[in-house]
Amino acid sequence: MGGDIVIADCGDSAVVVKAVGGDTTRAWHTVHALADAFEAARPGGVHGIVPTYDSLLIEFDCFHTDHTTVRRALRHEADRLAERPLPAAPSRCFVVPVVYGGDHGPDLPLVAQQLGLTEHEVVALHSAAPLTVRCLGAPAAAPMMDGPAFPGPVPRLASPRISVVPGSIAVAGRQAVVSPMPSPGGWPLLGRTPLRVLDLDAEPLAPYRPGDTFQFVPITPGQWDEHAGTPLAAAHG
Amino acid sequence: MADTLTVHRAGLATVQDLGRFGHSRYGLPVNGALDQHSARVANVLAGNDEGAPLIEITALDFSCTPSTDVLIAVTGAPAEVTVGGVRRNQWEPVSVRAGETIAITGIRLGLRVYLAVLGSVRTPSLLGSCAPDTILGFAQTLRGDDELALRTHCPPIDHPVFRIPLFRLNVPMARFADSWTIDVTDGPDLAEFGDTAERLFRSAFTVTPRSNHIGLRLSGDVPRRVTSGELLSRGVPVGAVEVPAGDELLVLHRGRGVTAGYPVLAVVTATGLSALGQARPGQSVRFRRRTVADAVSAHRAQRHAIHALKSRVRTAFDALRIPATR
Repeated sequence: MGGDIVIADCGDSAVVVKAVGGDTTRAWHTVHALADAFEAARPGGVHGIVPTYDSLLIEFDCFHTDHTTVRRALRHEADRLAERPLPAAPSRCFVVPVVYGGDHGPDLPLVAQQLGLTEHEVVALHSAAPLTVRCLGAPAAAPMMDGPAFPGPVPRLASPRISVVPGSIAVAGRQAVVSPMPSPGGWPLLGRTPLRVLDLDAEPLAPYRPGDTFQFVPITPGQWDEHAGTPLAAAHG
Repeated sequence: MADTLTVHRAGLATVQDLGRFGHSRYGLPVNGALDQHSARVANVLAGNDEGAPLIEITALDFSCTPSTDVLIAVTGAPAEVTVGGVRRNQWEPVSVRAGETIAITGIRLGLRVYLAVLGSVRTPSLLGSCAPDTILGFAQTLRGDDELALRTHCPPIDHPVFRIPLFRLNVPMARFADSWTIDVTDGPDLAEFGDTAERLFRSAFTVTPRSNHIGLRLSGDVPRRVTSGELLSRGVPVGAVEVPAGDELLVLHRGRGVTAGYPVLAVVTATGLSALGQARPGQSVRFRRRTVADAVSAHRAQRHAIHALKSRVRTAFDALRIPATR
C-alpha cells in the first residue's frame, strides 16, 4: 500500500512530492505508484512527471493549471492508493558485461582507495548481486540504480568530466548508473559495457523500466568485440 | 520544386520550438527556445501557432533568402535587421519579397534573436519536437547553403516604396538592458543554506562564459550549504538554483538533466527564465525574491498579453487577407 507523502512548491511551475515515514523500498513504491496513477488521470497543464527514489517532481504550465489544483489531484490519487495494495510489477533482469578498470574505468583505483578496498573487491561487490533500477534519469534515460553493497558512500568527482562515453558504468553516493549517451558527468567511472544501451528509434525509448535489475558481469578487454554494439535486452522473464 | 529559405551566414542558429514535453520520466530534458516569450511573440506576429518551429539565432550574425514572397517577424535581443538592404523593425510583421536577403547583425544587450516565418518551416522532429537535444545528438543546426523548406508563401503586403509599417499591434516586447533583475521563489531546500541563503539577494552575480542551454553559471558571493550528507538523485525543475561547488551558482535552464543531487536553493520564475535565456556572459544579474502567487500572476499576465496580441494579429491579417495559421 502507499505511504505518507508531503508536497512542497518547487517554483511557479512545479511541485515536489516526498514519501515519508517508511523505508526506502516503500518510499520508492509510493512515488512510482503515485506517478503512474497521476499520469493515468491525465491532469491538464501537466507536462513533466519525474519519480525517482523517494521523490516525485510534477512540472506544469502555470498558465493552464495551478499549484492548488495539482496538489489536490495528487492528494486524491495518494488517498486512493492508500486504500489498496500496490501491484507487484514484474521484474526483468538485464545481464551487462563490463570491462572494469584501465581506460574503461579510470576511477576504479580512486574509488577503491576511498572505500578502503582493493580494486578487485570493488569489482566483486559491483558485480556480486543484481542492482535494482529505481528510475530513469539524467542523462537521457540513464538507468539509475541502488548502489552496490559498498562499505560507504562514494564521493562525486571534485571536477566533473566534460564528456563521459556511452556505456560508462559509474557510482556515486549510494547509487549506480550506466550512461547511455555521451554527456558531462561528475560520477566516478568503474568500467564500461560494450552493449548499446539505448536505441533512439525504439518505442519505448529505453528497454528497461524502474523495478528491473541489472546484473553486471566482469569481462576482459579481449572479450569487448564479442559484445560490441549488441543492444541491451532483458535476459529472461 | 518546393519553396525554400536559403541560409547564407549561419552563425550559431538552430531550428527550435517550445520544447519536447512529456518525456522527463524517461530522463529527457524539455529543451526548446531559451527565451520562450520572444519565441512565442515571433510566431504570433508571423501568424503561426506559438509553438511552431522557428529559427533561434544566438549571438552571431545570420542571413538568409527566401525563394518566394514571405512574411516574417524578428524578436528577441536588439539587432540590426535588414531586408534587401533596408532597415526593418523587430517585433512586427515584415513582408519579404522572393530573392531579398534577410540579414540580422550586431546582436546586443541580449543573446538570442528569433526569426519566425509565416507558415513555419519543414523540419525533422524527434518525439514530437524539433528542439535540439545535445545529449541525444539531435539538432537541426544551420550551416551556410542549407535550404529550409517553407510551408507557405505570402504575397507582399506593405507599400513597395515608402515602407511605412502597416501594423500598430501594441506588441508585448521584452525589455533589454546591460544588467538583469531575475525573479525567483524560495526553493524546497532553502533551509540547507541557513543564514547564507540571503547572499542570493544581497549582491549582484556575473554570468560566466561557461553558461549554455543546460545551465547558467554565475560568479559572486554564493550561499553555502550548511548541512552535509549525500542526497539521492531526484527530479529538479528548470530554473533550479544550485550551488554545486566553488564560487559559482548554477541556474538550470531548459537543457538540464531532469535529475540531480544538489539542494535547490531557489527557483527562477517562468518569466525570469525567458529573461535569463538572454543573459550574456559578463552581464550582471540580481535576484529578486517573489512569492509563488506573484510569480504565477506575472507569467499569466505575460501569456494573456500574447493571447491578446494573437487576436489583434488575426484581425489585421484578416483585413489584409493574409493566410494566418488557424
